[in-house]
Amino acid sequence: MTQPAISAHDLTYSYGDNLAVDHVSFDVAPGEIFALLGPNGAGKSTLVRLLTGQVTPSEGSAAILGMDVVRQRKAVQAQIGVSFENTNLYEQMSAVENLDLFARLYGLRRSDGDFEPLALLEKVGLAGRERERVAGYSKGMKQRLMLARALVSRPRILFLDEPTDGLDPVSSQTIHGIIRESVAAGTTVFLTTHDMVEADKLSDRVAFINRGRIVALDTPARLKRQYGQRALRVELEQPDGATVVRELPLDGAETAEAIYDLLRQERVLTVHSEEATLEDIFIDITGRGLQA
Amino acid sequence: MTTVNAITALIAKDIRLFFRNQFFAVTTVLGLVAYVAIYFLLPAEANDGLQVAVYLENPAATQVDESFAAFFDYTLFDSPTALETALREDGEYIVGLLISAADAAAMSAGEAATVEALYAPNIPAETRQVYDDLLRLMVNAATPRAAARFALVDESAVVLGNDLLGAPIAVRDRMVPMLLLFILSVEVLGLATLITQEVEKGTARALLTSPLRLPHFLAAKALMGLLLAFVQLLLLVAITGKITAAPLLLTATLLLGSFLIVGVGFLIAAISRDSMAVLAWGMLVIVLFAIPAIAVLLPGLASAWIELIPSYFLVDALHRILHFGAGWGEVGGTLLALLVSGAALLLLGSALLRRRFI
Repeated sequence: MTQPAISAHDLTYSYGDNLAVDHVSFDVAPGEIFALLGPNGAGKSTLVRLLTGQVTPSEGSAAILGMDVVRQRKAVQAQIGVSFENTNLYEQMSAVENLDLFARLYGLRRSDGDFEPLALLEKVGLAGRERERVAGYSKGMKQRLMLARALVSRPRILFLDEPTDGLDPVSSQTIHGIIRESVAAGTTVFLTTHDMVEADKLSDRVAFINRGRIVALDTPARLKRQYGQRALRVELEQPDGATVVRELPLDGAETAEAIYDLLRQERVLTVHSEEATLEDIFIDITGRGLQA
Repeated sequence: MTTVNAITALIAKDIRLFFRNQFFAVTTVLGLVAYVAIYFLLPAEANDGLQVAVYLENPAATQVDESFAAFFDYTLFDSPTALETALREDGEYIVGLLISAADAAAMSAGEAATVEALYAPNIPAETRQVYDDLLRLMVNAATPRAAARFALVDESAVVLGNDLLGAPIAVRDRMVPMLLLFILSVEVLGLATLITQEVEKGTARALLTSPLRLPHFLAAKALMGLLLAFVQLLLLVAITGKITAAPLLLTATLLLGSFLIVGVGFLIAAISRDSMAVLAWGMLVIVLFAIPAIAVLLPGLASAWIELIPSYFLVDALHRILHFGAGWGEVGGTLLALLVSGAALLLLGSALLRRRFI
C-alpha cells in the first residue's frame, strides 16, 4: 500500500475551552489535491497549523510522508511549502529578496543553481515587478508571491490556506493554474477554502469541516450523488405568451413521463440540467452556510 | 541548511529592514551625528572656579580689590545697573557683590561691614545658601582681622573617593555615558519593534514553517541587536577619542552594555502586543535607564536605589574607566553584575517570547 502523503489520526487541538479541531482523521494520497471546505472559524487554519508543525496537537498525531509532525518537525518542514491565509511577506523588501531569504533558510543558493527566483516569479506572473518593494503590490500579487515563496524549496506537499480569498477571477485563475502545474509535477496539495466552486473545480477529494469535526469526505462527484438531488429546469411558454419555469427531479421514477408530458403539451423554450452544489450539500449536512 | 547560514540570512534581513524603517534609520544615523556634535560643542574643560561680579562704589578701594583677588575670580563693574544686567542676562555669573565706599573702608580697616549679594534669577535656595556661606567665608578671610580670627582654627580635609581637586571633569565628558545610553535606547526600541512586527505581521510564522527553529530565530535577533548597538557605541567612543582611555576594557564594557540592551529589547517585545506598546514600554525603560547617567552628570543627587537599575552597572563602569582611569580589577565586579543582569533579562525575555510563538 502506498504511504499517504498526509495522515491525521484523532488529531485534536483546543484553545482553552474551545475545541478548534476535534478528533480528526484522514489520509491524503501522494499527488492528490485535497480540499478542506468549511466556513470561517470551522477549524481549517488550525488544522493546517497542526499539519505543518506550527502548533502541537492536544491529542492524536499527524504524519507527513510518514514523518511525525511533532517529533520530526524539522524534517517535515523541509518537505513542505506553506501559503498562509493572511499576507505575511516582508513588505519593505522586494519579491526577489523575500524569495532569496526563504531559499537560504532551506539551504538553497542561486549560485549553486538550486534556486532561480526570476523563473519562479515568472511562473506566478510577477516578472518585471521583482525589484519593487512588496508594499506596493496588490492583494492578488501578494497572494501569488506567497505561493511562489511556498514553492521555493520545490516541496513535495503544498499547504494552501485560502489561496484565492478576496482575489479577482483573473488572479484566482492564475493561482489555480499554478496549483495544477505543481500537481502535474508530483506535488500533493492540501487546500483550505470556503469557496465551493474552487473546491469543486480543483480538488480530487473534499472534506467538509464544521466546528472542528470532519462531517463528510469524498470526491465532489460522489458527495453530490450521495447528498444532492439532480434536477431538470425547464422554461415553458404558455398560450398567453407568459413564461413559467418548472423543476423536475432527474432521478425520480416518473421523470421520463413528466418530461414527455411537458414536451407534448407546452412549448419548451429552454432545458437545463442542475445538480446540487457543494454549498447545498454542506448546508444539508451541517445546517449552516459556508459564508457563516 | 546550516544553522550559521540561516542566522546570517536573518541578520542580513533584519539590518536591511531596520534601515528601511525611516524612523529608525533617521534616528540611528542622525542620532549618532547629533551625539558627536553635542560632545564637541560642549566645553572641553571644566571651570569650577567661583565667578563673582563686583561693584565697588569707591574704585580707589584698591586694598579690598587686591584682597578679593587672592580668594576668587571676579570682575569689576562700573555701576550696580551694569552688574545687575550681567547677572540677569549673561548667564556667566551666579552672584554679584555691591560694596559701598563706607563698607570698603570698613573692610580695609578690618572692621565689620555689610556686603549686599545679588543672585542671578532662578537660583535654587540650596545653591544660594552654599554661595552665601562661601562668600561670607571669603569676605571675612579677605579682611585683616577676620583672617587672623580664622587662622586660629586649623583645617584638615579628607576626600573620600576620587579627589577631583585640580582635575575637574568637563561637562561633555560627564555627558558621555548619557550619550551612549541614548544610542542604546534607540536600539532597544528598534529591536523590540522588529520582533513585535514579526509576530504582528505573521512573518515569524512563515519563517518557522521552514526548517528554521525558534532558538535560531531568537539568536539571529539577539546578534543583530548586539551588533547594531555595539558598532554605534564603538563609533561614538572612537570619534570622541575616549577609546584610547582603555581600549580593551572599554570595548568589553560596551559589548556587555549592548548585551544588556538586547535582553531589555527581548523583554519589551515579549510583553508588547504591538508597536505602540513597544513605544510605551520603551519610553519607560529609557527614562529609568537614564537615571544613573543623570547622576553622573549631576553628582550628589542620586539615591542608593539607582544601583538597582541595570544600566547603573554600565554607567558606573564607564564613569570610572573614562574619568578615573579604573582598570579591570576595579570594575570587574561591576562588569560581572552587568553580564548577569543582561543574561537574566535575555533569558526572561526569550522565555516569554517563546510563549508568543508556540
